[in-house]
Amino acid sequence: MNKSIQQQLNILDYGLHSLWQKKGRNFCVFLIFSGVIFLLASFQFMSASLTRTAELLLVTVPDITVQQLSAGRQVPLSAKSLGKLDTVFGISSIRPRIWGYYFDESNGANYTVIGSSAPATDDLLDSLLIAGSYPQAGEQGAVVLGSAVLDNLGLGDRKSFSLFRPDLTQVALHRVGVFQQSINLLTADLMLMSLEDARDLFAMGHDEFTDLLVQVANPTEIPTIASKIADAIPGSRVVTAEQIRKTYEAVFSFRSGFGAACLLASLAAFVILAFDKGLGFSREDQQEVGILKMLGWQTGDIMRLRFYESLATAACAFGLGISLAWAHILFFDGGLFRSVFLGWSVLRPTFDIVPYIQGRDILLLFAFSALPYLAATIIPAWRASIVRADSVV
Amino acid sequence: MTIKIPQIELSEVHKFYNQGQDNEVHALKEINLQVAEGEIVCLRGPSGSGKTTLLCLMGCVFGPSSGRAAVGGQQLQRMPDEYLTRYRRETIGFIFQHFNILPELSVEQNIVLPLLPLGISPKERQQRAEPLMERFGIEHRKLFKASQISGGELQRVAIARALINNPPIILADEPTAHLDSSRSNELMDHLVTLRRDGKTIVLTSHDPLVTEHPEVTRVIDIQDGRISCGGSICS
Ligand SMILES: Nc1ncnc2c1ncn2[C@@H]1O[C@H](COP(=O)(O)OP(=O)(O)OP(=O)(O)O)[C@@H](O)[C@H]1O
Ligand SMILES: [Mg+2]
Repeated sequence: MNKSIQQQLNILDYGLHSLWQKKGRNFCVFLIFSGVIFLLASFQFMSASLTRTAELLLVTVPDITVQQLSAGRQVPLSAKSLGKLDTVFGISSIRPRIWGYYFDESNGANYTVIGSSAPATDDLLDSLLIAGSYPQAGEQGAVVLGSAVLDNLGLGDRKSFSLFRPDLTQVALHRVGVFQQSINLLTADLMLMSLEDARDLFAMGHDEFTDLLVQVANPTEIPTIASKIADAIPGSRVVTAEQIRKTYEAVFSFRSGFGAACLLASLAAFVILAFDKGLGFSREDQQEVGILKMLGWQTGDIMRLRFYESLATAACAFGLGISLAWAHILFFDGGLFRSVFLGWSVLRPTFDIVPYIQGRDILLLFAFSALPYLAATIIPAWRASIVRADSVV
Repeated sequence: MTIKIPQIELSEVHKFYNQGQDNEVHALKEINLQVAEGEIVCLRGPSGSGKTTLLCLMGCVFGPSSGRAAVGGQQLQRMPDEYLTRYRRETIGFIFQHFNILPELSVEQNIVLPLLPLGISPKERQQRAEPLMERFGIEHRKLFKASQISGGELQRVAIARALINNPPIILADEPTAHLDSSRSNELMDHLVTLRRDGKTIVLTSHDPLVTEHPEVTRVIDIQDGRISCGGSICS
C-alpha cells in the first residue's frame, strides 16, 4: 500500500484508539452533541415532511374556491348561485362540493367529509390512493378513507360500515379506496364520497352544497375572474389557490424559522462548549503530544490526529442524532415538536407523520452541526500540535 | 589505533532559547565536540549547565543558533523543523529520564509509536517489534498496558522503542536518575550490548555508576553552557 495512505491510516487508527481510551472524558460532549443534532434533525425532518404534505395538498387545490357567507358565517350555497356564474367568461369548469365535519361519538373523533360531484380521473389524484379507486359516478355509498378513519372505525378487512344522520338514522356506506400515508396531514381524517351521499349524511337540501370549485383556463386571469365571481354572487367569499398557498407558507415558514433560530442558538452554545473543552488541554495531553513529537511525529501529524478524533466524534454523534430523529418522527410522530408545527390542528384526530427525508437535508444538517464543531476544534488542535518536542526532556 | 569516523561533529556551536527576546537564554557557548561511531559518551555537569540542550541538538530536535552541527553526516544548521523531524526519526533513538512511556497504551503499541508516521503497516510493525521484545524479555507483557508493568520492564520497553527504527545513534537523558543501583547496572549492560551492535551512544548523567563505567569511552564536563574538558575524540 502507498506509504502516505498507510501513514494516514496509522494516525487514524491511533486517534480512534486514544479516543476510546479517553471515552469517559469525551462522553459528555458526545451526548450533548448528539442531542443537539437530534433536535436539529427532528425539526428539519418534521418541517420537510409537513412542507412535502402541503405541496401535495396544494396541487389538489382548485384555482378558485367559492363559499357563501351570511352574517359572517359560512352557509350552504344553492344551485341558483351556480347559475349566476354562467355570465363569467374564462371559467373552464365548476364543481360543487360539500365539505363538512362528522363527529364520531363512539370514538370521540372528528372526521372531515368531502362530497364531490365528479369522479376524480386525473393521474395526480390517483397517485394519492394507496389502494382501490375513487367513487364512480352514480355509485351509491362508495367512500375513500384516510388511514386514521380506517383505524378509528376498526374496519379491518370489512368494507361496509354505517354513519348516523343528524336524526340518528343510519347511512350505509362501503369503502372503495384508502389514501396513501405520505399526505396524511390532510387525508388522515378524510372521508371522500359522492356529493349525493354527503348531502344525505348531513341531511342538506337537495340542491345545496358548501362550496364551488372553479377551474380557470388561463392562470393569469385567476385574480380577474375571482373578482368577477365575487361581484356575481353577493356575500360570497372567493379564495384563490395562490392565497391558500401563501397562508400555508406563512404558517410553516414562521414556525420553522422560529424553531431553527432556537436550535441554532443551542448549537452555538455547544460549539462554545467544544471550544472550551479543547482549551482545557490537560497536562497529560501535552505530555503525550511532546512524546509523539520527540519520536518523530510532525506538527501536521498531530493536527491530523486531533482532526480525526473530532471527525470521529462528530460522525458518531451525527449518526446517532440523525437515527434518533428518524425514530422520533417515524415511531413517535415528532412528539416533541408536534405542538410547534401543528398547533392549529389539535382538534383533528391523531395522524402519523410520514418522514420525508432527502439527501439534501442530511447535507444541510451536516453543514450546520458537524462543520461548526470541526471548525471549533481546529484552534485547540493547532494549540496541541505546536507543543515543542523538547518539552518532555 | 586509528581515529574513528565522527558520527556527531559540532564546531563553534551556540544555542539561544528565545533569541532576541527579554527572556533570552544563551544555553550553549562555543561548543566544539566530536563523537565517533561506536562510542559511549557521557555528558556531566551541574543542573542548568546545558546537558539536555546539547543532547537535543545532537538529537536533531533543533538546529544550532550559530556554528556548524553535523549528525550522521547531515548538516543541521538552517534545516527546517519538518526536515529535522524527518531526519531525527531515521537517525536517533531516544531514552528519556522518566522513560516517557504512554501509560494507556499496551507495551507493543508504545514500542511501535515511532513507526506510525512513517507509514509502516501493522503487520510490519509487529514483525519489527517481536524480535526486540524477545531480546529484552518483555514478549510475555506485550498486550499489557504500560501502567501495569514493573519499573524494570518499563525501562526495557523504553530501550526497545528507541531501537525500533534501528537508528545508528542512541541518546539518553539521565537514564538512571530515578533507578536504584541494580536497575542502573542493568540499564548500562543493555547500553553496552547496543554499543557492541555498532550504535553510537550519548548520555547525560552525574551518577558515578555511569560516569565511571568501564565501557564509557569519555566523560565530557559542561559548565554554564561550555565544555570544560573532554571535547575531542580519544584515539
Ligand atoms: N525551552 C527552554 N526555553 C528557555 N530556556 C530554556 C529552555 N530549556 C532550557 N532552558 C535553559 O537553558 C539552560 C540549560 O538548560 P538544560 O535543560 O539544557 O540544563 P541541564 O544541564 O539539562 O539541567 P538539569 O541537570 O537540571 O536537567 C538552563 O538555564 C535552562 O533554564
Ligand atoms: Mg536536563
